[in-house]
Amino acid sequence: MKIDMSFPARKYKLYATWKRDMEIMKLPFPREWSHTQFNLPPNWREIALKKMDEVVKKFRSVKLFLDICVKCGACTDKCPFFLGTLDPNNMPVARQDLFRSVYKRYFTLTGRVFRGLVGAEELTEETVELWYTYFYQCSQCRRCSVFCPYGIDTAEIMIAAREVLTAIGLSPRSLTEAIAKCETIGNHMGIPPAALLSAIQFAEEEIKEETGIEVKVPINKKGAEILYVPPSADFFGGPHWGTLKGAIKMFHQIGLDYTISTYASEGGNFGTWLGYEHMKKINKKLVEEARRLGVKWILGGECGHMWRVIHAFMDTMNGPLDFLEEPVSPITGTKFEHAASTKMVHICEFTADLIKHGKLKLNPDANNQYIVTYHDSCNPARVMGLIEEPRYILKNVCRNYVELDPNVNREKTICCCAGGGLLADETIELRLKAIRPKIEAIKRTGANFLACICAIDKAAFTEYFEHYKLPITVGGVHELVGNALVFD
Amino acid sequence: MDPLIFIIGYITPYIAFFTLILGLMYRVVRWLSIPVPFRLPVAPAPITYTGVLKGMSLDFFAFRSLLKGNKKLWIGGYVFHVALAITLISHIINVYFHELWAVIGYGWYEAVLYSGIFFLAALSFLLVRRIVLPNVRYISKLSDYIILILLITIVFLGVYMRSFGLVDVASVSEYMHSLLMFNPIPPPGNIWFLTHYVLAQILFIYIPFSKVSHLIGWILATTRNMRNITRWRRHVNPWDYPVEVITWDEYYQKFKDELEAIGPGGERR
Repeated sequence: MKIDMSFPARKYKLYATWKRDMEIMKLPFPREWSHTQFNLPPNWREIALKKMDEVVKKFRSVKLFLDICVKCGACTDKCPFFLGTLDPNNMPVARQDLFRSVYKRYFTLTGRVFRGLVGAEELTEETVELWYTYFYQCSQCRRCSVFCPYGIDTAEIMIAAREVLTAIGLSPRSLTEAIAKCETIGNHMGIPPAALLSAIQFAEEEIKEETGIEVKVPINKKGAEILYVPPSADFFGGPHWGTLKGAIKMFHQIGLDYTISTYASEGGNFGTWLGYEHMKKINKKLVEEARRLGVKWILGGECGHMWRVIHAFMDTMNGPLDFLEEPVSPITGTKFEHAASTKMVHICEFTADLIKHGKLKLNPDANNQYIVTYHDSCNPARVMGLIEEPRYILKNVCRNYVELDPNVNREKTICCCAGGGLLADETIELRLKAIRPKIEAIKRTGANFLACICAIDKAAFTEYFEHYKLPITVGGVHELVGNALVFD
Repeated sequence: MDPLIFIIGYITPYIAFFTLILGLMYRVVRWLSIPVPFRLPVAPAPITYTGVLKGMSLDFFAFRSLLKGNKKLWIGGYVFHVALAITLISHIINVYFHELWAVIGYGWYEAVLYSGIFFLAALSFLLVRRIVLPNVRYISKLSDYIILILLITIVFLGVYMRSFGLVDVASVSEYMHSLLMFNPIPPPGNIWFLTHYVLAQILFIYIPFSKVSHLIGWILATTRNMRNITRWRRHVNPWDYPVEVITWDEYYQKFKDELEAIGPGGERR
């Protein structure tokens, strides 16, 4: 495997957080700074080391993974950011080593005694610059972990490492701008209630024009049976729009008693990529809203990292969710036992169950103009294991379904390269390089529709296809469901 | 007696042995004392204990994950570890249960020598690979080479001794027995054996302080040893702490006009 020792990816840095957002979010050291001029606080090293000590005592996985990596190299060619740039620091193990070398120097006996011999290194301003650069070139997709003989997960080390960066006042605008909006307005996109209402009304009008049916979407409706939480991008339009309409149409056809919320209008959670506190905050609003509205359970829309939080963290952080009921599909009576504690069901699980019981009137011919392929998002595939449900739905709503190359599919999927805070204009060059293997695989299928279940996928792939001049439409699984629904 | 022989024959064997055992125990206790705040296995993770056991067994006995990612490395790594296991087992039989060979068959006793050759070949492959492949060279520290060179030397000496009959297995066995009884007799004064023996002691001491602790640490990897059941059974984070968020009332005051435009109290039914 070739590497490029000129470190070509070092130039890609996310822009700095605005001082204003740092103040809103109460982040440490609100100040004017930029991605080239950090203006670190005077005692930054002390703070960083203290935080490092804290995280290795808080996460068993982090300490274990820092200790037991044998540098076998199995992960080196698994990261799309390495494959796209050949920058050696983008090999998962090298990315971890940027953190591990400092951990060794200050927190292990051998590192303190033997220093460079065992790869221990001092924490310098240059290290911090490398950290900020390369820790934010990881989308936390966990592909490397699949191939590691011990399951070492770079994402978990990055979660800890980003806590350290945040503690010394370094966080990227691509995350904090959205988090600040979410914590003050209600969603990442900063859509206030009035705009959300207009979006809903607009969708209703379009549905009427297209199908002739009148739908009315309940908003903030107390006592509804189900709270539906999509990512806020769905209200925004673009490649997400069809998904929102598809879901609304489907809920209408089955007569679901549901509501959406303006206060918790964000399923996504950019806090996930910054640190525990903000992840918990954003998620907590969802829980509080479910409590206030008195719903029975929550249905979650098509979003990737949102489902990492819901599947793996929500109950732990903001549970127990005793005030909700164990989810039961009001249409089929199916008990979603796997969600008995968190009480939140993925829309693909819900829809697949409807189809299985024949509760949807579908005409797959409606999607005959498409050859559809499915992109496994990193989080649904590798955190939830939600691999079969979307495929089952797709095979029922369209006639021409093709699979991607098994090397970049299912749990081995190459992600959209825009998660983890990388969905920003300043990283587009990097992302276009990283996504190439996936684009090639998509091209080989001959598909003209890429179905995905993640808002970031939809935004990113639209951008990529435009750049690579590929006539491929990007949309949600529920956009195709919506197309296939028959109303009479 | 030569003081050097006294030290490496009577004292350091115990230091090495207890450093290995206690050191590894200390490592495991340290790891176990750190909480696991989340349940975050890597899918497709099993949802049953049997599934987890099956997956981890495949990882242990077949290096399944490595096989998915890198076939050449898998061959090198697998041959190395199997040869290591054969070597360790045959050492224990040789030294403490020599009469067992009569049951197993002396043919196997001879065959073990060939596993040593595979052992050397695999280690050499891993070392050459570390030097030649640019990506692996980039991530290698001096300690990564040293451990391989140390192993190669130990194995080479072992194979060499065996091949040319340079060591009397019976006298080594007698000496090792005496160590076990805490009543040591002088070790065989054979330079080949003594070098092999000292290097092995260094290896024992090195293991708990190094990446070789993966030999036990892999079991604790939360990405592989947990069930994918987080939405089914709540996982508790012992260091969880409360956070403040904007409440509905604060939010309502902030967007009162807009919410009332949606409907009374912000509700649209």
